Amino acid sequence: MHITVYGDTLCAQVTATAMAQTGHRVNWRVVEPASRERLARGLPLFREQGLDRLFADQLESGRLIPGFWQELPQTAPDAVFLAFPPGEQAAAEGLARRLASSTGCGVIVNQTVGPVGAAEQLRDIIKQIDPRAVLVALPDLIQEGNAFQTFTRPDSILLGCEEGEGESLVRELLRPFNRRKDVIHVMSLREAEFAKLAISGILATRISYMNDMACLSESLGVDIDVVRVAMGADPRIGESYLYPGCGFGGPGLSSNVLALVDALNKLAAEPGLLERVLQTNERQKEVLFRKFWQFHHGNLAGKKVALWGVAFKPGTHRVDNAPALKVIEALWAQGVEVTAHDPKALPDLQNWAQGRGELTLCDDPYDAAEGADALMLITEWKPYWSPDWQRLKRRMREPLILDGRNIYEPAFVREQGLIYRGIGR
Amino acid sequence: MVPDQDVLSISSLWSQLTQCAAQEKALHLADLFEADEQRFERFNIDACGLLADFSKQRMSDEARDLLVALAEERQLRHWLDALFDGAEVNCTEGRAAKHWCLREEAGHAPQVHEQLDAMERMVERILKGHWRGVLGDAITDVVNVGVGGSDLGPLMAAFALQCSLPPEGQARPRIHFASSMDGSQVSQVLQELNPRTTLFLVSSKSFTTVDTLHNAKTARQWLARGLGLDYASESLLRCHFIGISANPRRMAEWGIMPANQLQFWDWVGGRYSLWSAIGLPIALTVGMDGFREMLGGAHAMDLHCRSMPWQKNLPVMLALVDVWNINFLKIPARAVLPYDGRLKHLPAYLEQLEMESNGKSVSRAGEPLDYDTCPVIWGEVGPNAQHAFFQLLHQGTQPIACEFLMTARRYTEDMHSDAAVELEGQHALANANCLAQSRLLALGERALDPKVALPAYKRYRGNQPSTTLVLDELSPGTLGALLAMYEHKVFVQAVIWGINPFDQWGVEMGKLIATDMLAVLTDPDNAEGLDASSQALARHIARKQKSRD
Repeated sequence: MHITVYGDTLCAQVTATAMAQTGHRVNWRVVEPASRERLARGLPLFREQGLDRLFADQLESGRLIPGFWQELPQTAPDAVFLAFPPGEQAAAEGLARRLASSTGCGVIVNQTVGPVGAAEQLRDIIKQIDPRAVLVALPDLIQEGNAFQTFTRPDSILLGCEEGEGESLVRELLRPFNRRKDVIHVMSLREAEFAKLAISGILATRISYMNDMACLSESLGVDIDVVRVAMGADPRIGESYLYPGCGFGGPGLSSNVLALVDALNKLAAEPGLLERVLQTNERQKEVLFRKFWQFHHGNLAGKKVALWGVAFKPGTHRVDNAPALKVIEALWAQGVEVTAHDPKALPDLQNWAQGRGELTLCDDPYDAAEGADALMLITEWKPYWSPDWQRLKRRMREPLILDGRNIYEPAFVREQGLIYRGIGR
Repeated sequence: MVPDQDVLSISSLWSQLTQCAAQEKALHLADLFEADEQRFERFNIDACGLLADFSKQRMSDEARDLLVALAEERQLRHWLDALFDGAEVNCTEGRAAKHWCLREEAGHAPQVHEQLDAMERMVERILKGHWRGVLGDAITDVVNVGVGGSDLGPLMAAFALQCSLPPEGQARPRIHFASSMDGSQVSQVLQELNPRTTLFLVSSKSFTTVDTLHNAKTARQWLARGLGLDYASESLLRCHFIGISANPRRMAEWGIMPANQLQFWDWVGGRYSLWSAIGLPIALTVGMDGFREMLGGAHAMDLHCRSMPWQKNLPVMLALVDVWNINFLKIPARAVLPYDGRLKHLPAYLEQLEMESNGKSVSRAGEPLDYDTCPVIWGEVGPNAQHAFFQLLHQGTQPIACEFLMTARRYTEDMHSDAAVELEGQHALANANCLAQSRLLALGERALDPKVALPAYKRYRGNQPSTTLVLDELSPGTLGALLAMYEHKVFVQAVIWGINPFDQWGVEMGKLIATDMLAVLTDPDNAEGLDASSQALARHIARKQKSRD
């Protein structure tokens, strides 16, 4: 089939790549000139393990053709995917209007995450222009860091669809990814959008809940990691999203929860729980800073701290709302010198730091730790899991390890002659 | 140089004014307005974002001219020069009163701006969430511990300005005030706050004020307990206490860390100190830019006061009107009535500013006075006062002067956009009530339909004089101008009356006697030799406390 994908998002890149890989002819149209330039040079907008190569393959095969968003499809596509960043409702509406006015745009599949009711609004706009036009909602459930996998081997697909024509087309497009069992849940546009936000809400709640428990563990003298495993073994709870740590970030999860809080506020319900969830998370982002502050009784001037991992999660180069940013700002404000290492996110971090403050970025994690008064592990990239402790100890001024993801074994680190502080242990 | 001064009542102008008042007593405000449509034009001043309407005062042109001549005769020009030259205008304490210096530009007051800059650094750290408690948490609550001038001014102004938006990208902490000696506020505040995120400002000019030091000690104990630290812990003091005082030695003795000390000076009276670091809660409310804007508004009023002829001079005319009312029309009280709820704490602030300054009965030369000085001042948010004491203003037996305050613009900020229409309606309603009340008080039933005959208990005598002050809007700048206007007005009155407005000896003795009373309460047998009433009360309390055990 002929498919057009609009947007500069990871969701757009994954959708375009996956559709091209299964044999469709895909036009991917981006908005930003910078994105267009990258695509023209054959580079993906988002780099993730596995996805990079697949993307290059599709370009080479000629099934994936990059373009600019102002160009309308040349041949009438069978489906158009809208995958704009969250909240960019206006862009989606403008485009939908143009598509509906052109002849035969096929089924419009909205992946853009917006407030509940946004898809209905889009639908009304296109129906006004062309009563036969069809719009479905396929909210983006991609997990960054594991994006291609979560799109092509999904546990669940939310499909907001109020017309049979739309459903059968989406089912056909997703058929290669829906083979083991049917995981497509069909519901109204509104329900699909709300389900997506509600999922984000409960995941965020689990994390903040665990962070509260971790805080208690410290006062009670128990190890939260032991408690976490015990909790996860209960089938009513399950294992995922139970890791306490130094907070969650990223463009998706927190903005979805914010959208939910917003919706609750507007509808005059009580947003109490979710607001607390977000507050707890913001507080948690500073937990390593607080441990460092306490360690030095608030005298931080002239100290130096090394950060390992600044991406908001392993596998991505993005730093949007990442806990590392809050830590860096807090350290700067106390006159602390900051060095950082990250396998992928240093360019994004440098961008963010521009005009904000001084950072030393290191290509080698041990160089970052040189002369440091503490090492903060913030993003649990695999290469950090088993460091050379003696090498670290030699190079640091004070061998204080602040483990924001509880990936080390406290007793072992201490045996190596370093000082260890984790979250809730 | 401080000019010499005679007692006021020997002035020939005094007897002329007395005569003039006797003639005018028969005049009703309604007659004055009926006889002269231009009255407002000649009895208003519009300056520094404030309009003052004196036309509803029971004052003829002749009376006003005599009062202006009286100001001249009392050498007001010389006295203002003395004040602004930093001469020793506070004769009983042998020092200058240079609160105006706190709003001078940097070039003229380097010492002041050094402290303002230190204050700015603290404000910035707190508003950006970079001031940390002992456990590393950002501060969310700030408690101002102070009393009198260290409480009323900051409380009034911070409350008045809290509706303005906090500075961009900054989170305003919640600000609390604890002043009362008995601990009622501090106990309330401590119940609600988290010691990890609470910062205390201990404000006291002398740093010996018993009320404040007891509240501060209670707070320090609470922090030490809550955070598991020693009372003497250095990090506790470094992370949770800022001191503001003119006495750095005392501050340091109490435990305020050098980096956390903000200073002002002997030459700033407590009730004139909100322009100094004592205004920290105000700066935390509107940001340092807003605070400097407030200083700017006050500075503009300083210049106005020094440069305008008396008839066009806001503080001078306000003062002369008050002198006329109490000394010649014998009106013993003035009600302060803000029709904008944000000025809720203004009456209490003015009660201190005016009554502590001018509640005196001895001349600068130490002679007893044979005329009245400061009237009794009290007040309340206008619309609420309408449901409380306006009955007495309209139909009581006393003549009372009123001061109405209102704002022309309100609810124009973005933050009100959702409910702006309704709120603007409420603002209009309050302003309508303000105009209605001043009109009815002035004209009495002549403001009503003359054809309707009223029974005696429904009649309105009218002829209650009032001044109406209209602020363009309530902003840091206009608030600064308003408060500086009152400060100078108080000084002008003191010049006319020949008294020192900058001391407060009348409040000293009570503090001393209280120390002895503490011994009486601990053991009523110590009451021997006291008056019968005090003895009986001490015994009664002791009995009641015992019966509870």
